[in-house]
Amino acid sequence: MSGRVVVTGADGYIGRRVAARFLADTDTRLVLTVRAADRAELDAKTARLLPELGPAADGRVEVLPADLTHEAPLAAVTGDVTAVVHSAARTAFDVSRPVAERVNVDGTRRVADFAARCPALERLVLLSTLVSAGLRTGPVPETALVGEAENANHYEWSKAAGERLVAAEFPDLPLSVARLSTIVADDDRGAVTQYNVFHNTLKMFFYGLMTVMPGLPHTRLYLATAAFTSAAVVRLASADAPTGVYHLAPTAGQALPLTDVMDTAFDVFGEDPAFRRRRLLRPEFCDDATFRHLLAAADGLRGSPAAGALRTVAPFAEQMFHPKEFTNDRLREAWPGMPTPAGLPLVAATCRSLVATRWGRQGADAGPVRAGSTS
Amino acid sequence: MARAFIGDMAYSLGATRYELAESAAAGRLCSSPDDLLAAGFARHHVCPPGDGSYDLARGATDRLPLNDGVDAIVYNTCLPQNGSIGDLAAWEATGDVKHLMEFPAGHLQTDLGLDTAVVFGLTQQGCTGMLGALRLADALLASEPEWERVLCVSADRFPPGARYEQSYNVISDGAAACLVTARPAPGTRGLRLVATHQITNGGLHTASDDESVGTFFSYVPLLVRQTLARAGLTTADIDWVVPQNTNRHAWRIVAGLLGIDHERVWQRTLPDVAHAISADNIINLSSLLESAELRPGQRILLAMAGHGLNWQATVVEVTA
Ligand SMILES: NC(=O)c1ccc[n+]([C@@H]2O[C@H](COP(=O)([O-])OP(=O)(O)OC[C@H]3O[C@@H](n4cnc5c(N)ncnc54)[C@H](OP(=O)(O)O)[C@@H]3O)[C@@H](O)[C@H]2O)c1
Repeated sequence: MSGRVVVTGADGYIGRRVAARFLADTDTRLVLTVRAADRAELDAKTARLLPELGPAADGRVEVLPADLTHEAPLAAVTGDVTAVVHSAARTAFDVSRPVAERVNVDGTRRVADFAARCPALERLVLLSTLVSAGLRTGPVPETALVGEAENANHYEWSKAAGERLVAAEFPDLPLSVARLSTIVADDDRGAVTQYNVFHNTLKMFFYGLMTVMPGLPHTRLYLATAAFTSAAVVRLASADAPTGVYHLAPTAGQALPLTDVMDTAFDVFGEDPAFRRRRLLRPEFCDDATFRHLLAAADGLRGSPAAGALRTVAPFAEQMFHPKEFTNDRLREAWPGMPTPAGLPLVAATCRSLVATRWGRQGADAGPVRAGSTS
Repeated sequence: MARAFIGDMAYSLGATRYELAESAAAGRLCSSPDDLLAAGFARHHVCPPGDGSYDLARGATDRLPLNDGVDAIVYNTCLPQNGSIGDLAAWEATGDVKHLMEFPAGHLQTDLGLDTAVVFGLTQQGCTGMLGALRLADALLASEPEWERVLCVSADRFPPGARYEQSYNVISDGAAACLVTARPAPGTRGLRLVATHQITNGGLHTASDDESVGTFFSYVPLLVRQTLARAGLTTADIDWVVPQNTNRHAWRIVAGLLGIDHERVWQRTLPDVAHAISADNIINLSSLLESAELRPGQRILLAMAGHGLNWQATVVEVTA
């Protein structure tokens, strides 16, 4: 790959790893954009990011400020851009609709607008999410979203809207949409440096703060590591990977039933003497109506830390009642040698590291960002 | 095994009634009155200075027909310190532990003229203690063929300065008393004990408020299922559930998990009484008895969670 690759949101969890992977696997030069209000914030973010990328970044990386809520955020990027990986986003499931719209929809339009002005552009890789499919159930192919579906939260909605608008308004762009799985660990060894709804739910179970699981036991979870995901993104940014929609996910057969994930998690929790001593019961699955009562109760417990934690996972919970079967045929075709997802051993390794570090509170030193092994 | 019957029952509450806003202003609550109102609470009852847990116990027992005496008294308190009504100043002045062992059950025996009654005290079952007392009374009547009547009492008053909110529930000082009899008592609605069951998880002895709330939703369904299994019953055999006065959503969730129609959960005293510690079941059961809803043959499940580590349930059947 010659020319320069722009990565937005490059100091984010995935952005950093995508950058590291580009540095490890290609000889391309990178323009890494970060959100920075002023020079001081840019300097601080650059000073954090570059050491994380290590010596491979020397002479190959330029860090620029770009706030997606500003007009022409990438105007400062010059030179022969061959690929843009758009990773920047507001990613919290409880993001408000106006913020999600401003950053994830309007911001994505601005990135696409920039990409459309790059004459040497070979790929725009838009990082999206499997749950852009919303609350539909059943098979979800690796194609543009068809028809409307309700969404469980504004984040999902905004990612779907971003996908749709780039496809509709920029039909000539060499666009690949990478729909990411839920990322549970940095790599197959299970270390966790970014905590999301998956980890926070397990934390509530471990501490006995939540003892019912919203969802259907057979709903499949599509889990992946950051190493797998960043390697896939770099692969899709290459001109020889066809454009189009990709699911960076296991096959439906490899995806894990919720009940198996819970059993694995509790088996691992049971290895911890302090957990065993407390004899917490495995959660029961509850229906949507029952979960709503739980949320109603939590709404009235404003002084309760557990209720607050419950409110943060609630915007995703509805997905657990909407089982889907994602395909990944296109990804497998575009990525010869694609590693096989680790499945329940990844869940077990992740839970072990969560328990050992008490969800990052004990002895968690993230260390430098590695491109990571995807096998 | 022949099972005992619950006969007459009565309760008493702290003499001063406060609206939530009043208690919030006085620093007795942690959550906001709005949140507690949304949880189903409206007011609660606090003993005025000078009134103790024993006064509450008398307030309940004085309403029971005790002229025929009782064979035993099972006296329960949630707070262990309510299990002694001695003069703490005297203990501090003298260092004599006898002032820490002035047992309210003994007082009750002599004050009510129940001279031949033997006494038992329960202090380590949290809010579930009244159901523990029923269980003990049932077992005593089964093992002592000569015995006819056991008086079960539960009485708690929070100490001055205590906050009247536990695990996000508004607390009332209160007491309940009931007679457990070997035969149905004439003139009262017969409630035959069908099954009793208890789970204790000592591993949760330091549970925080949030952990107590969290484990409620796994242990209460387990408790109910195990209780029903002991009785050879299913949830379909239960006509009424009489729970404690806790957040009004809590039993909606448990009912959802157990497949019980929430209309069958009798928690009508919640707004006016609040969580009167171990007295809740008797208070709600009295309310159900006063309604025109009960029919002979119906089964009632009394359920209680206590201090995050005890759970007890009792099934009774309406016999007349
Ligand atoms: N991680 C996952 O499990 C997962 C799953 C599915 C999809 N994805 C997608 O993958 C992409 C990367 O996710 P991530 O996990 O790396 O998220 P992240 O760690 O939250 O990083 C997001 C990045 O976007 C930046 N950003 C936020 N608002 C911005 C703005 N207004 N202008 C410019 N930059 C802005 C953030 O900068 P600040 O920190 O300065 O705000 C940060 O660098 C996202 O598009 C996300 O939707 C992730």
